[in-house]
Amino acid sequence: MNEVIEAFRLVAAPDVIIAIVASAIYGLVVGSLPGLSATMATALLVPVTFWLSPIAAIATIITASAMAIFSGDIPGCLLRIPGTPASAAYTDEAYAMTRKGQPEVALGAGLWFSAIGGIVGTLSLVLMAPLLAEMALSFSTFEYFWLAFLGLMCATLVARSSPIKAIASMLLGLLIACIGMENPAGTPRFTFGLTDLLGGIEPIPALVGVFAVSEVMRAMATPEPPKMPDRKFGSILAGQWKLTKKYQWPMWRGNIVGVIIGVLPGAGADMAAWVSYAMSKKFSKEPEKFGTGHPEGLVEAGASNNASLASGWVPSLLFGIPGDTITAIAIGVLYMKGLNPGPTLFTENARSMYALYLIFIIANIIMIPLGIVMIRIASKVLRAPRASIMPVILLLCAVGAYATGNNLFSVLLVGVFGILGFVMERNGYPVAALVLGIVMGTMVEQNFITSLIKSDGDVMPFFERPVSAVLAAMTIGALLWPLGVWIWNRTGGRRLPA
Amino acid sequence: MQLSDRVTGGVLVVLGGLAAWSGSRLPAVPGQDVGPAAFPLLIGSGLVICGALIALGIGRSFEAPEEEVSATGSRLSGLRVLIPPALLLFYMLASEPLGFLLTGAIIVFAVAVALGARMRLAVPLAVVAPALVHLAFYKLLRVPLPDGVLPAPW
Repeated sequence: MNEVIEAFRLVAAPDVIIAIVASAIYGLVVGSLPGLSATMATALLVPVTFWLSPIAAIATIITASAMAIFSGDIPGCLLRIPGTPASAAYTDEAYAMTRKGQPEVALGAGLWFSAIGGIVGTLSLVLMAPLLAEMALSFSTFEYFWLAFLGLMCATLVARSSPIKAIASMLLGLLIACIGMENPAGTPRFTFGLTDLLGGIEPIPALVGVFAVSEVMRAMATPEPPKMPDRKFGSILAGQWKLTKKYQWPMWRGNIVGVIIGVLPGAGADMAAWVSYAMSKKFSKEPEKFGTGHPEGLVEAGASNNASLASGWVPSLLFGIPGDTITAIAIGVLYMKGLNPGPTLFTENARSMYALYLIFIIANIIMIPLGIVMIRIASKVLRAPRASIMPVILLLCAVGAYATGNNLFSVLLVGVFGILGFVMERNGYPVAALVLGIVMGTMVEQNFITSLIKSDGDVMPFFERPVSAVLAAMTIGALLWPLGVWIWNRTGGRRLPA
Repeated sequence: MQLSDRVTGGVLVVLGGLAAWSGSRLPAVPGQDVGPAAFPLLIGSGLVICGALIALGIGRSFEAPEEEVSATGSRLSGLRVLIPPALLLFYMLASEPLGFLLTGAIIVFAVAVALGARMRLAVPLAVVAPALVHLAFYKLLRVPLPDGVLPAPW
């Protein structure tokens, strides 16, 4: 109990409160700008977290990402341009509602069910994490290897992309992670004689390049999005209670699916939204209404993506294996702040964990009033010309990369990763898989090589321990899944719904 | 930048091959079977396989139909996408001699103009944005941004 009181005290500190409010506003604004994703908002925050206390640093990451995932719904609904990839699944539906003259219902549903999803996700984190921590204490390098590998495989199950290209992206990320001497033998690899590469490639410049610089590059090649007409909204929360009662079952299904997808290492909010929207359509009593401005899918997918955001912290906190690209950044911040992920975090640093839960709850509650304000002023924010936002983003990329190590080489890396991300995205290679490969490469290799050394080069011990065998089966299942679907399509001659 | 699958797949095959080959030449740890070579070798081979599959067009049916990006005219506009990385290179080279404020102003101005901003927007933005970023990072976050020829007044 003392720990809980202590956690309240930690969260009530003035710097934490300021951090929560400031990052909430930041997340809402950045998330609502088309093309600027929640991941990018979080990546650009990292230099700021250097300067904050550990709890305040985590608070900024949690709050900004939750807000950005919600506010990504705003331009999706009003302009048919998803603000973040996690809203892309139901953008058409939300826009159809706007055309029917119900933008406030669509936006309200996004807000209300995002907050509910976030809170359910948090509760699942509170319940699951300590139980799993108990189990994780007995994990050896074999289990960690499979967990990390499973995470990488899940990261390749991205909707709307060829699984082979996704696996190739992931391998490319792993190859990039090989650079430097951070390997079990301490041998410099692929450094091309550059001392700057000896330490390896830091994930932050890679993330900023892939998610932010490539977006500025894309802005150069595409025409300015349409201006938003000034619009007066009716009451935003008015109809939501009715929707909650009417679509109670889809809402819970969305929450649960979101939680499950979030807990899977490597799969995050984007996938949760796609899967939930598809499920909602499949199980709906009125599937013919989908796509014409029907709120059911919005309810389910909107709850799902926010639920996955919170439960994505489970593998991150327990194993240091990111649930998605946002928690990949969060793990870096946790290490930097001395809260190294691992099962002992829950016993040795329980009050920080309670504080983290509290921040999640607070963030999802203040999301409602702040979100309403954001929706009301959205037409003003979205009217800011792209030519005034993109230059500042590029400057922040340069400074942010420089600030992570006071090193000008990182600025160059950001540019290189910008080009890589741009080219990959244009050609259908998912960049999230690349990023997770980079983030997890060292860990996968470390556990793989250590396990091999322990077993004297034998592969059997990888499958002998019970948990290890289950994880292996799941990983191999994820690996063979696309192959199975492909063969099914070939022989059956019909396409499975994605 | 839209390349065919044959090209990107081929690039991956070459890259994977090179990684596996140069990985296999890494010195082994004496007395141990698995060393620094194992992982690059594994990944390199994986990339070769994936690259070959992509080049042969297997698994293509999974991809969502590409929404057409409206290409705005000439080859010259294709090169415009390289402006942001070029400006980052410029930052790396120029920020120490010129100082942050001046370098930042040039970058902001260049991107704004490239995106079609009028002078009325681009000039004030180039003055105000670097100053605010400098204030936040130098004063609040204590990042040692270079002064160069134009030190900030704070």
